[in-house]
Parts: sequence; C-alpha cells; structure tokens
Amino acid sequence: MQRRAFMKGCIALGASSVILPQVSILEASEPKGKTRIFYVINRYNLKHENKNGLTKLWVPLPQETSYQKVSDFKFSSNATNAYVTDKNSYKARTLYAEWKNGGEKLLEVTYTITTNERNADLSKATASTKYPKDVAHYLKPTAHIPTSGKVKELALKITENSKTPLDKAKAIYAWVTENMYRDDAVIGCGVGDAGKAIEQNIMGGKCTDISSVFVALLRSVGVPAREIFGIRLGSSRYSKACGSSDEKGLAKITGGEHCRAEFYLDGAGWVPCDPADVAKVILTEKMTLNDPLVKGVREYFFGNWEMNWMGYNTARDFVLSPTPAQKPLNMFGYPYGEVKDEVLDYYAPAAFSYSFVSQEKL
Amino acid sequence: MKKWLILLLPLMLFAKEEVVIKVARMHCPLCTTVVKKALKSVEGVESSKVTLETKLAVVIAKDGIDDKAFLEAVKTTGYEGVVVSRHRLKEQANFY
Repeated sequence: MQRRAFMKGCIALGASSVILPQVSILEASEPKGKTRIFYVINRYNLKHENKNGLTKLWVPLPQETSYQKVSDFKFSSNATNAYVTDKNSYKARTLYAEWKNGGEKLLEVTYTITTNERNADLSKATASTKYPKDVAHYLKPTAHIPTSGKVKELALKITENSKTPLDKAKAIYAWVTENMYRDDAVIGCGVGDAGKAIEQNIMGGKCTDISSVFVALLRSVGVPAREIFGIRLGSSRYSKACGSSDEKGLAKITGGEHCRAEFYLDGAGWVPCDPADVAKVILTEKMTLNDPLVKGVREYFFGNWEMNWMGYNTARDFVLSPTPAQKPLNMFGYPYGEVKDEVLDYYAPAAFSYSFVSQEKL
Repeated sequence: MKKWLILLLPLMLFAKEEVVIKVARMHCPLCTTVVKKALKSVEGVESSKVTLETKLAVVIAKDGIDDKAFLEAVKTTGYEGVVVSRHRLKEQANFY
C-alpha cells in the first residue's frame, strides 16, 4: 500500500464571514431560541473501480449564520491537495480535496456546531415588496425552479385571495402541506424538479421535491424564497421523523440529509419553514393533517425551525469551484466526487464511501 | 489469399463507429453516470462518455449496432434518447 503524508487543516470558518458575510443583518432581529451544541465527524474513504484516476471531492460545509455557529473546524487527509473555498455563485462553503495518484483516498472533517432554535416574529412583517439586492436574487428562476408557465398559473390560483406577501406565503404553505406527500421510494432527498412536479402533477416526493415546489410557487408570485440544504444532527422533540439519537446524544447521521426552506418578508427577514417535515411526520407517525401532533407540527414549521439540524447552503443549479467535469450541480446537500469525468454515487454512502456522526453535548 | 485480404480490407478499416446520442432531460451529474453505465451494457460498446453540459453521450462501439439498442438502454434509466449522428471510425488494421 502506498503511504502518503497526511495533511491537516485547521480553519476558523467563522472568521471568513467577516470578509464574505453569508448572514445578512436581516436575521439579526430574530430572538435567540434554545441553544444546542453538536460535535460532528465526517469520514471519507473514496472507492472507485478506476483506482488510479484523478479523484476530486467537494464536501459541503455548514454556513455561518445568526442561528448556527461553527467552531473547532479541522480536517486531515492524505489528499495531494485540500483547501476550503466559497468561490461559487452562492458562496457555498466547500472543502475541496484531490488525489492525483492511486491508493487509499482518506479524509476526516470535524467541527463543533452551536445552534439556536429559530422563531420568526411575523408581527414585524410589512406588505412592502421592495427587497434588497441579495434577497431579490431569490426571486429568479433556475433550471429546477421555474417561475412561469404552469408553476405561475398554479401559484396565482392558490394566492388569488391573498393580499400581502405573508398571506401568499401562508396560502402556499397550506396548499403544499395539504397536497404534497412523502414518497419513501424516491432516492435521497429527491431531485427537486418543481417544474416537472407541477406540470406532471407529481405530488409525492422527499424534502427537496416538496421544498422546491414551495419555493417555486413563492417566487412565482413575487415572494423571495430559497431551499437550504443541510443535515439532521440529533433528536427532535416532535417526532423521530424529524431527527433522532441514542440516550447519550449520539446520532448516526449518514443519510440524514434534509432540505428546508425559507421565504423573505420585509420587516421580519428570512422566515424558516419546513413543509417537507410535515409530510414526513404524517407518513412516519401514520397520521393525517387532522391529528393533533401533525396540526402542531404544521403550525410550528411555518416560521420556526427546531435546530437539531444544520444548514450547508442555498445553492441550486450552480457550478462548484474548482469546476468539475460535470456541471451544473443540481444541489449541494451531499458530498460530490468525480474520478476523471465519472461521478461517484452520492446517494450510496457505503459505495462512495462516507459516514457521518453527530454527538450532542447533553 | 491476397484476394481474401482485399475483400476484407474495407471491413477491417471501418470496424468501429462513434454514435452520438442526445439525452435532453438529464438534469444532474449523477444522471451521466447512470446513462453511461446503461450504454456500456449494450453488447459491442467499447466506451461511452456522457456530458451533462451538452446533454450528449458519445459511444464508441463496433460497427452496425442498431439505434434501437442504444435508445432502449437509455430508456432503462428513465430518459429518452435521440441519435443525432453516427459515423464510422477509421482503424488501422494490423496485417503484420
């Protein structure tokens, strides 16, 4: 076996936000909710039949926001080269590593993440639709988030009696949580092709599918909205469907990727939502919208996030840096790897391979 | 013997084809891997290169495989393909 020297990295991720702020002051007015602390370990041991091909790996890293802070970020690897970058159109934080030779391809990433529960104050919302430039960006369509044609037609129908952006968001949230359902047969978090879902009336899906429809409908009627790709970290007070761990706070979170959504209201800032987890609770708990638990969860996930989860980025249909052989990337909620021009199956952790664990400080 | 070699020469010169297939609805990098694997499973296919940006699959295969075989393989991935071009590749026959 060829042995390589391990390279180590230790970066204060939070410090980079001074130069490249990912959090706007728009979240600053949100009151601080319950704090939770998680220690996260990501391990990679890349496998591919072409063992000698140039291998590249892009790992999504947590974003720095008012509701989640990263500390003690470290990585070690036998990669030829590895570094942290956010040089992409969404400033999605990325740990990039490449291996030029054959042999084992190992990487371990560790960090501590401190989260605060999010509770939006909707009473501060105004009806203004004048949005800052960085917010207005989230009104634009992407390949998977169209805002015209049947998507717009449906959004207009859902919001025909809504006057303010908040009214529109409430109507769309109600429609999505009533009409969409979780389909466990969908691979990973789903593709999140909102145009296809609406045009072909595909109402079953997973978190990216449901969130993408929510976002596309909102953008179609002039309400800025975005998905946030991330991963569950620990137990939920509502349902095991929304996150779980053992009694010591240890959670095996491989495969725990989860996409949430936000929309923007003048005065209130970015409002957290999670229509997909309403659908997941219904399926997991074998309930309907009328069950008290589901009613509570449905109400809670319009304006609140239980922070047993962390967000990576809001990127969709974009190009990673350094530029991969295959582009654009649909979403960056999973590690992305290539051997020459061939893509590693990020939906198959054991084959890829990668594993993630999270230990909550209890 | 010489007569046989002369008769076989055209076949030996044009033993392979490059077939270009458009898979318009491929939407993510992983789709390229799935389509590539499906095309490589067609008997006679030597290699395939699939690119998301252009939505094209370029297949190198033995001469004469029917379009249907490629398109049915693509169909197993859930996508529709269209053959946009195919041309024979000249290959240096090894006579000696």
